[in-house]
Amino acid sequence: MYAPVLQLDGVVRDFSDGRVVRRVLKETNLDILPGELTALAGPSGSGKTTLLTIMGLVLRPSAGRIVVAGRDAAGLSEDELATLRMEKYGFVFQQAALVPALSALDNVLVATAIQGARIKPETRKRALEVLDKLGMKEYADARPQQLSGGQQQRVGIARALVGDPVLLLCDEPTSALDVESSHLVLDTLKRLSRDPRRAVVLVTHDPRVFPYADRLIKMEDGAIVYDTRTASAGGI
Amino acid sequence: MLLHERSTTAGAILGVVAIVFLVGQQLAIMFGLFTLMSAVVDNSGADIWVVSKNVENTASVSSLPSRYVDRLAGMEAIEWAEPVIYSGGQLRLPNGTFQPVQVIGVTRPELHGGPWRFASGGNDVLLEYDGATVDKFDLEDLGSPELGRIVEVNSRRIRIAGYTEGSRAFGAPLLFTNATKAREVTGLPADRCSNILIRLKPGANVRQALVDIEVLLPKASALTSQELARNTIIYNLTSTGIGSSFGLSTLVGILVGVVIITLTMYTNVLNRQRDFAVLRALGARRRDVFAIIVYQALTIGLIGLLIGFFLLAGFLFGVKGSRLPANLPLWLPPAHALLTFLLCFAGSALALRRALKIEPASAFR
Repeated sequence: MYAPVLQLDGVVRDFSDGRVVRRVLKETNLDILPGELTALAGPSGSGKTTLLTIMGLVLRPSAGRIVVAGRDAAGLSEDELATLRMEKYGFVFQQAALVPALSALDNVLVATAIQGARIKPETRKRALEVLDKLGMKEYADARPQQLSGGQQQRVGIARALVGDPVLLLCDEPTSALDVESSHLVLDTLKRLSRDPRRAVVLVTHDPRVFPYADRLIKMEDGAIVYDTRTASAGGI
Repeated sequence: MLLHERSTTAGAILGVVAIVFLVGQQLAIMFGLFTLMSAVVDNSGADIWVVSKNVENTASVSSLPSRYVDRLAGMEAIEWAEPVIYSGGQLRLPNGTFQPVQVIGVTRPELHGGPWRFASGGNDVLLEYDGATVDKFDLEDLGSPELGRIVEVNSRRIRIAGYTEGSRAFGAPLLFTNATKAREVTGLPADRCSNILIRLKPGANVRQALVDIEVLLPKASALTSQELARNTIIYNLTSTGIGSSFGLSTLVGILVGVVIITLTMYTNVLNRQRDFAVLRALGARRRDVFAIIVYQALTIGLIGLLIGFFLLAGFLFGVKGSRLPANLPLWLPPAHALLTFLLCFAGSALALRRALKIEPASAFR
C-alpha cells in the first residue's frame, strides 16, 4: 500500500453572498492514492469542481486540513501554495486552455517557466519527450488553432506532465471531444495513472470515462455519496 | 512570452506611436519656435544686453541715449559695447500692400548683432550705405525681391543686398541693415539707440558687471543674453497664447495615447482572463502576472517608441530647410522615451489591476 498523495481531513467549503452562507462542500475526508485513476462524478452543482479546486490548492477550504505529498498545506501563503502547485500538481482543463499565441511546445514549456525560471535545454528536451509520448512531437511548432480538439487536449496533458507531478487533476477533459479523441485522451490518462508515484483525479459527468476509472466517487449536494474501487463501474 | 492578441497589441502599439509622434512633433515645433523667439539674442555674440529700465524682453520697445555706449566702453570688464536699432517697419510690396518687418540696425564696421548665416553675400553688404539683408525663407512674404532691388520701408528706400538663410526670428521677417540706414528708416534720432550689446573680456565676472552697469546707468537695465532670451520666450508664450495652445495639443496627444493604451491593454486582459487564471492555477504568483503585464507594456512601449521615433525623424527630416521651425534639443528624445514608458505603465495600470484580481479557481469554471 502506497502512502496517499493527497489527504483531505474534515474539509468543508462555504460560500457567502454577504447575507447568506451556503455550504457547497460538506465535511469531506478523502485519501487519493498513487497508481490510481479516480473519477469524480455527479450532477451539475454537486460540488465536484469545488472539491477539485480545493484538492488543487487553488481554493482554500473554509475548514479542514489538506496534506499534499506529506506536506500540510494549512498556513501556507498564497505564493507558497502557487509554488506547491507548480512542483506537485499537473492540471488538465476543459478545452485544453492553451495560450493561442504560443506554439504547442511553448505551451508545454510555459508551465516550467511560470515563475520566471529560465528554460534550460534539458527542460526543452523533456517537453519534447512528453509531447512524443503523447504522439504530438510532430506538432510541437503548431499553434493551438492549427490542432484538433483531441490534439489540443493532449498538448494540455503534456503541459500538465512536464513538471513530473505526483497529482494530475483533470477538469472534464473529454467534455468537448468526439468519441475517438475522448478514448485517445482517456487511454493516455489511464496509462499515466499506472505510474506508482502518481495519482490521476478526473472530474466528469461523461459516462465514457467510467470504464477507465480504478475508483469512482459520486457526489451529490456537496457530499460524497458513493466511493468505490472497481475495474468497471459503468453502472454508477 | 506574451499573452496577447495581435489586434489589441497592434492597438496598444498604435497608442504609443501616437504619443511619440504627436507629442514629439508638437514639442519639436514648440522648441523650434523657442529658437526663433530668442534667435536675435542667442546669435548676437553679446554677453550682456543693456535695455531701457523695466524692459524685460526684445518684444518690448527699448530706447536708450547713445552716449551710454561711450560710458560703457570705458568700463574695465568690457571688451566692446555697440548700439543696435530694433524697431518695426512696413515694407511696401510690389502690389502696393505692406508687409510688417522687424528692422535691425547694426553698427559699422564691426556689425555686432547682425545676421548670423548667409545664403548669398556676407556681412560686408551691410557696410554699404543702403544695403540690407532679408531671409530667403521670407522672400515670398516680401514680394520676392531679387538681389539689388530697391524696396521701400516706411517710405524710405533700401536696397536688398544679401540673402540670409535661417537668420529668422519669431513674428515679422527680419530686415538687417546698418544703424545709419535703420535710423533713417525708423526715424530714431542719432542720439538714441534701442539696446546696447556688450561683450565682456575673458574671465570677467558677469554678475559683477551687471551690477556695475546698473550703477553706472541707473536709468537702464542690464541682462545677460540668457536672461533676455528666456524672458523673451516666456513673454511670447504667455502673451500670444502659443504656450497654452501647444500645451493643450501636447496634452491631447498624451491623453489620446494613454486612452488607446489603457483600453487596448485592458481589453487584452479581459479577453485573456482564462489564460491568466490558467497560469495562476499552474503556479504563477501575483508577481509573475505583474511581470507579464509589465513585460508586455515594456515590449509595446519599445516597439511603439521605435516606430514613433522613426516617423518623428521622417518629420524632422521633411521640415528641415523649410519655413516650419522644428528643433529637438538633445535631452528631449531620452526624456520623451522615459515619459512614453511611464505612460505605458500608467496605461497598463487598469489592466494590471484587473489581471491581479483574477483567481486561479476561475480556470475551472
